Amino acid sequence: MRLIPERFRHNNLFITMFLISVIIIITVSITITWTTIRMSEQFFFEKFSITNAKVMDQVKDSFETYNYSVVVASNKLLQSGTIKRILTEESSNVQRLNAYFTLGQQMNRIESSVDTYETSIIVTGTNGIIYSTDRTYWPITDDELKSGNIFKNTLKEPKRLMYQYDVRPDKEDGNYIVTSKALMERTSGIGYGTMYFAIKENEFREFYSNYTSPGNHVFLVNKSGVIMSSDRTKLIGEKSEELLQYADEIVSEPKDYLVKNFLGKEQIILMEFLPSLEMYMFNIIDKETVFGTLIDKKKIVLISMGIVFVALIIVFFASRRMTNSLSKLVKQIGSTSKHEFDKYVTVSGTYETKQIGHAFNSMLDELHEYVDQLVVSQKNQRNAELAALQQQINPHFLYNTLTSIKFMVQQGGKEESEATINALISLLQNTIGNVSETITVKQEIDNLKNYVLINQKRYGDRIKVNYFVTPDCMDLEIPKLILQPFMENSFFHGFIRKPSGYINVLVWQDGNTLTCEVIDNGDGMEVSEDNTLPDTKRKQQHFSGIGVRNVHERIQLIYGEEYGVTISSTLGEGTKVRIILPIQK
Amino acid sequence: MKKVLALFLVSLLLLTACSSGSKTKDTSGDAKDSNKVTVWAWDPNFNIKAMELAREAYASEDKDVEIEIIENAQDDIIQKLNTSLSSGTTKGLPNVVLIEDYRAQSFLQAYPDMFHEMTGSFKAEDFADYKIAPTSFEGKNYGLPFDTGVTGLYVRTDYLEQAGYTVEDLQNIDWDKYIEIGKKVKETTGKQMLTQDPNDLGLIRMMIQTAGSWYLEEDGVTPNLADNEALKAAFETYKKLLDADLVKPVSDWSQFLAGFNSGEVATVPTGNWITPSIKAEASQSGKWAVVPFPTLPGVADSVNASNLGGSSWYVLNVPGKEKAADFLAKTFGSSVEFYQTINKEIGAIGTYKPASEGEAYQAADEFFGGQKIIADFAAWTAEIPQVNFGLHTYAIEDILAVEAQNYIKGKELDKALKDAQGQAETQVK
Repeated sequence: MRLIPERFRHNNLFITMFLISVIIIITVSITITWTTIRMSEQFFFEKFSITNAKVMDQVKDSFETYNYSVVVASNKLLQSGTIKRILTEESSNVQRLNAYFTLGQQMNRIESSVDTYETSIIVTGTNGIIYSTDRTYWPITDDELKSGNIFKNTLKEPKRLMYQYDVRPDKEDGNYIVTSKALMERTSGIGYGTMYFAIKENEFREFYSNYTSPGNHVFLVNKSGVIMSSDRTKLIGEKSEELLQYADEIVSEPKDYLVKNFLGKEQIILMEFLPSLEMYMFNIIDKETVFGTLIDKKKIVLISMGIVFVALIIVFFASRRMTNSLSKLVKQIGSTSKHEFDKYVTVSGTYETKQIGHAFNSMLDELHEYVDQLVVSQKNQRNAELAALQQQINPHFLYNTLTSIKFMVQQGGKEESEATINALISLLQNTIGNVSETITVKQEIDNLKNYVLINQKRYGDRIKVNYFVTPDCMDLEIPKLILQPFMENSFFHGFIRKPSGYINVLVWQDGNTLTCEVIDNGDGMEVSEDNTLPDTKRKQQHFSGIGVRNVHERIQLIYGEEYGVTISSTLGEGTKVRIILPIQK
Repeated sequence: MKKVLALFLVSLLLLTACSSGSKTKDTSGDAKDSNKVTVWAWDPNFNIKAMELAREAYASEDKDVEIEIIENAQDDIIQKLNTSLSSGTTKGLPNVVLIEDYRAQSFLQAYPDMFHEMTGSFKAEDFADYKIAPTSFEGKNYGLPFDTGVTGLYVRTDYLEQAGYTVEDLQNIDWDKYIEIGKKVKETTGKQMLTQDPNDLGLIRMMIQTAGSWYLEEDGVTPNLADNEALKAAFETYKKLLDADLVKPVSDWSQFLAGFNSGEVATVPTGNWITPSIKAEASQSGKWAVVPFPTLPGVADSVNASNLGGSSWYVLNVPGKEKAADFLAKTFGSSVEFYQTINKEIGAIGTYKPASEGEAYQAADEFFGGQKIIADFAAWTAEIPQVNFGLHTYAIEDILAVEAQNYIKGKELDKALKDAQGQAETQVK
C-alpha cells in the first residue's frame, strides 16, 4: 500500500473495490464463456454423433445391399453347372469359341443381379479360361488374374467372399474394390476357378459421398488397416494403423464416438463395423471445420469482452460515486479532529455515509454539551471551594485577637475590651453566621470597620483608615469578604518601612458597575505582569481562607470576564487596588 | 483517477483492436464454367489420342476453352446415352460424344432433338460419301465424320516367310486362299491365323460388306438374312476357318489385343484403326504388312475392300454446344494440317478428302516394312461398297451370334439363317 501515492490514499477504498470487481467480473465472464463453449461443443458432439450414426446406418444399408447383390450373383455363378463345365473342361479351339459364347450369355444373365451398379465381373477357370464382362472397366491383365495377389488371397480363403483393394495406375481414378471368391465344389472342396466383382472406388464412394462434406469424411478400412475407400481420395490405398487402433478402442470400451487426433487435427471419430464386408467404416469429422462455423468463438469472446467492458464502466462510476462521499467524509473528519470541534461535516451521499455524517455531527453536539457541562461543574466546584475558604476563619486570627483581648482585660481596659469583643462578634456573625453568599456594601464596610478596629487594638492606630462610600451604594449586594483581603494586605505589607499612613476605602457607582478601591500610601511594591498580588506566606495572619489572589478569580467566576481586580502600585508611594463589580440589588 | 480511467480505456480498445483481426476472404469465382467442353470416347490408343491432338490444335484457336476427354467403354457410352436421352435429361452428358456409324441412326432417329445440328458447320461434300448417310437424318448433318473404318488384313510377314509365302501371295486373295495359307502357316509355325470373339461378328460384317450386302435391306429396316448369299458365304467361310482350327478364341478386347501383340496369331483382319494397337508392340516392328481384305469366295461382286466400325463425333444439345461445335468444326471439320498430324502420330485416317493429298498420307511406315499403308488404306477406302447400316445392326447381330453357334455346332446353315430371319423380323420390326 505504500506504493500508492499520497493523492490516492483517500481513494484507497475505491481502488481496492474496483480492482476486486475487475478481477471478479473478468474471472466470472471467462469462466462462463469457457463453460458455455464447452457445453455447446459437448451438445453438438452428442447431436452430431446421433445424426451421423443414423447416416452411417443408412450407408451401411447401401453397402449391405451392394454386398447382397454380389452374393446373389456369386451364388448364381457357383450354382451354374454350365459355367463349371466351361471352366473345367479342356476343349478344342472351336469348343472354346463356343464356350466363350455360352459363358458370355450366362454372364449376361448373372450380371443382371448387379446391374444397378457399374461393375465388371471376371471369372477364371482352372483350364485357363478368363471371361470378363467389361475389361475396360477393370483392365486387369490375364497374367495378374493367374498369379497376382488378388488371386492368391482369394485362394487362401476359398469359402469367403472377400473384399480386396486393387489399383490400376495407368487408369484415371484407377482404384477398385474387388470382391472375390473361389469357385469351388462345396461337397468335394475342389476349386475350379475364381470370380471377381470389381467396382471402381469412385462408384463405391457414391454409397456415402452424399453424406460427406468438407470436414466430414468417411473412411472404409479393411482389417489390415488399408484404406479401401474414402472421400479423401489421396489417402486411398494407404495403411493406417491409427484407424485400426481407434476401431479397437471403440469396440473394446463401447463408445459412441472418440475425439482424437487424426491427420494432424482434432477429429470426432465414429465407427461402424461392416461384418459382411469385413471393413470398418469410419466417419471422421474435423472438429474445427464443423464446429468452427457453429461456434463463433471470436464473436463470443468479443461479446463477453464488451459486456465486461460495460460492466467495468458501470462498476467504475458506481463505486466511485459511493466511495467519493465516503472519502470526502473521511477527509472532513480527518481535519476536524485535529482542530475545531464545532466544524460540522456536510451530510451528503448515500444512506450509509449520511448516517455516518449525522452520527458524527451529533457526536460533536454531545461533545460540546459535555464540555460545557464540564466547564460549568468545574466553575461550581471552584465556587464551592472558594465559598468554603471564605467560611474558614483563620484560628490564628481568633487566637491572636483573643490574646489581645486577654491583655486588654488584664490591663483593665474594660471598655476597650468590650469594643473589641463586639467587633469580633459582629465580624464573626457576618462571616460565619451569614450563610448567604452576598452581603450589602454596608455590611462589608461594617466588617471592614470591625476588622480594622480589632487590628488597631492589637497593633496600635499608626495606620488610619477612612471610608468614602456613596450612600446609594450602601444597599447593593457584593460577594462576602472581597474588600477584607486587600485591607489585610495593606495592613500587614503596606507599612513595613513607613511608620504610619492611611488606607482609604472608596465605593461608588459608575454607570452599570460598582467600583471599590482600596488605596494606601504605604511602601508600594513591584506589580507583576499579570496584575496579581504577591503571595503571602504568613498565613496565620489571614482572617479567612480567602487571600487576595482568590478574590479576582472568585469575582470572575461569579460575574464573568469583564469584572475583576486590577492592582497598581508605585514603590514608596503606595498601592491602589480597584475592584469592579456589577450592580446587584 | 481520470488518468487511470483513460489508461484502462485505451488498453481495452487495444485489446479489442488486436482480437478483431480482419477475416475477409477472397471468394474465388466459382461460377459455372461454360468454357468447358467434355468429350466421351473409347479406345485410348486411337480415338482418345486423336481427340487429345485436336485439343492441342484447338488451343491455338481458343485458349480459354478447356476440353476434358473422358474414356468410357463403348457399351457404357451407349448405355449412358440411352438412359439419359430416353428419360429426357441431358444432365451428366458430355458436349461431344463419339458414336459408331452402325449405331448412329438409332440415336438420331430416336432423339433428333437431343443432338445439335451441324449442318453448315462443316462442308459435307469434303467428306467421304459413305460417311454422310449414317451421320445424317432427314437431310440434316448431325455427326462430323471421323475415321474411315476401312479394313485391311494385317499380316505377320515373318510367319508367312516361314511358311514359304511372301506378302505378294496375299494381295487380293479370297478367304479360301487365306485358309489354305493359314493351314500352311499353322503347320510350320504352330501359330493360328486370327482371333475371334464369339460375341462379336465383326468378321462376318466385314465379309458381307465386301459384297455390298448387310443384315438389312436397302431400306435399313427389313432384315435380310435368310436369302442373303453373301451372309451365307460368310458363315460358311467362318465355319471353314474354325474347322481348319485357324481361330484362337478370345473373350474380350484385351485378349484380342494380347493375341497379336504376343505374336500368337499371324493375321488380323480388321479396320485400320487397329494400326496404333499393332504398333504398340514395338518389338514387332518390320514384321508386319497390310494387304487388301480378302473377298468372299463364290460371291461375284465381292471386292477386296470393306469397312469395320468407323465412327463420328456428335454434339449433344446441352449448354456449351456452340463451343463444342466450333471446336469440332475447326479441327476435325476443316483442318488438313490436323489430319496430317493425327495421321503421323497415330496412323489415323480420316474421311476428310482434302487431307488425303497431304504428304503424311504418302509416308512410308517402317513398322510395316516401309509400306505406305495410309496411301493403301486411302485407296481401298474408295472401293468400299456402300451399304445402309440401318437401325438394327447390333440387335440382329445378337440373334445371328446365337445361330452362328448353332451352325458351328452342326445346325444346317439355311435353317439357322432362316430361324435368325424369323427372330429378327419379330424383334426389330
